[in-house]
Amino acid sequence: MGPAVDGLRQVFEESLGGADTRIVLNLAEVSMIDSTGIGLLVRFLASTKQRGGNIKLVQPSKFAVQTLRLVGVLNLFEVFENDDAAVESFT
Amino acid sequence: MPPDSNAGRPENELSEVLNIGFPADPEAIGAVADAITEILIQLRVPEQKRLEIGLAVQEALVNAVVHGCKSDPSKEVRCRLQSDPLGRIVITVTDPGPGFSPDLLSDPKRQENVYADHGRGVYLIRQLMDEVSFERRGNEIRMWKY
Repeated sequence: MGPAVDGLRQVFEESLGGADTRIVLNLAEVSMIDSTGIGLLVRFLASTKQRGGNIKLVQPSKFAVQTLRLVGVLNLFEVFENDDAAVESFT
Repeated sequence: MPPDSNAGRPENELSEVLNIGFPADPEAIGAVADAITEILIQLRVPEQKRLEIGLAVQEALVNAVVHGCKSDPSKEVRCRLQSDPLGRIVITVTDPGPGFSPDLLSDPKRQENVYADHGRGVYLIRQLMDEVSFERRGNEIRMWKY
């Protein structure tokens, strides 16, 4: 909810309009993900997977991981310690 | 909800720390959530507990503003924070909307709901808080953290 989710939604929509299907999402600056953000994330993941791609998460906070696990979506994502490892996982 | 659900948590030991009303504008939610976080810091609530309460409150405020009031800023959402001598926190969020029946909410962890873009807020609140009840006609949520 709020500007952070609006910004993320805009990035996702721009990405869906382009050719990118291999997405690395760095969450290092995100301390908390609420249900609105989670809904956006899984919807974007579904759209990206439908186009043959994937979304890799980088450095989610401990609490963000806990939240994703609580609502049963953590296992939908691959999680990495840094951007390079996430990028490399696509090759 | 059993009739003796308040047993063991005497209401008269609760001190009111915050009781505010704010317009049901989504833009106002962040400031209220921040104010509550600040109070929790002042009450020396540990960080993990603070994060859990903070997210639950954020979810409750969004539900009240967006669903309860349809984001109509002419309507008012009320938020109350109380604590007791044992450090337990209770937060109540009330909206003037028609309310809802929480029993009718679907389970967001069911396979068919995993990719849904909504429907996780109340579930998350229940996971993050120790006790949650819906009062009045379902337009007031009361959340306890021990």
